[in-house]
Amino acid sequence: MLERKPKNIFSQGAIPATFIAESIQKHSSQTAIGGHSIFLGQVRADDTENGKVRAIEFTAFEDMAIEKMHLIREDIFAKYPLTCMHVHHSLGEVAAGEICLFVFTSSAHRKAAMDACNETVERLKAELPVWGREIMEDNSHQWKVNK
Amino acid sequence: MQVHLTLFGQLADITGRTEMILHDIPDTETLIKTLNEMFPSLANAKYAMALNKKVIKENTILTGDNNIALLPPFSGG
Repeated sequence: MLERKPKNIFSQGAIPATFIAESIQKHSSQTAIGGHSIFLGQVRADDTENGKVRAIEFTAFEDMAIEKMHLIREDIFAKYPLTCMHVHHSLGEVAAGEICLFVFTSSAHRKAAMDACNETVERLKAELPVWGREIMEDNSHQWKVNK
Repeated sequence: MQVHLTLFGQLADITGRTEMILHDIPDTETLIKTLNEMFPSLANAKYAMALNKKVIKENTILTGDNNIALLPPFSGG
């Protein structure tokens, strides 16, 4: 098996829908793939006691997060017969309604792609040193809590 | 021992700092005690500690390079 190197998963701002579409299109040459699974995290305009969320500003301990994501990736590849996995996470401000997380897994048959995608999302939310600061409509802020 | 400390998320809000250099810190228990004296509100904050990018759970003697990060509960994705 090819040795995988840690990949940078972070980019500034929202993840554009065109980027996601292009990412899907790039797999058309990989004809051993029979199923893709995609998770898209979208910033929710929560109504909180401190106001309505307008955007989330993400920060991360990037080096540690990239190393940790590499370990998660290795675990998931060891557990499921995946063809490939792509993970992209936003940094900086992402407005409500925009995409801040894109997880994309592919395999010969659907179940591996679906289970691997789900497990990757659960693990990265619990294990990556990333923080979201919810910015309210009046520009006050509070720190996001993952549920 | 010298410690290069990085603070993330709400911990940077609480302390007003994102980075600090601290001297004469023999172990992580002393580090926590020192920080709590400097920033009393930090004593009630929940966080994990990473030494050179690895999370540590017990008191650890500090030798050599000590890049310590204080990590509040994660909320990515």
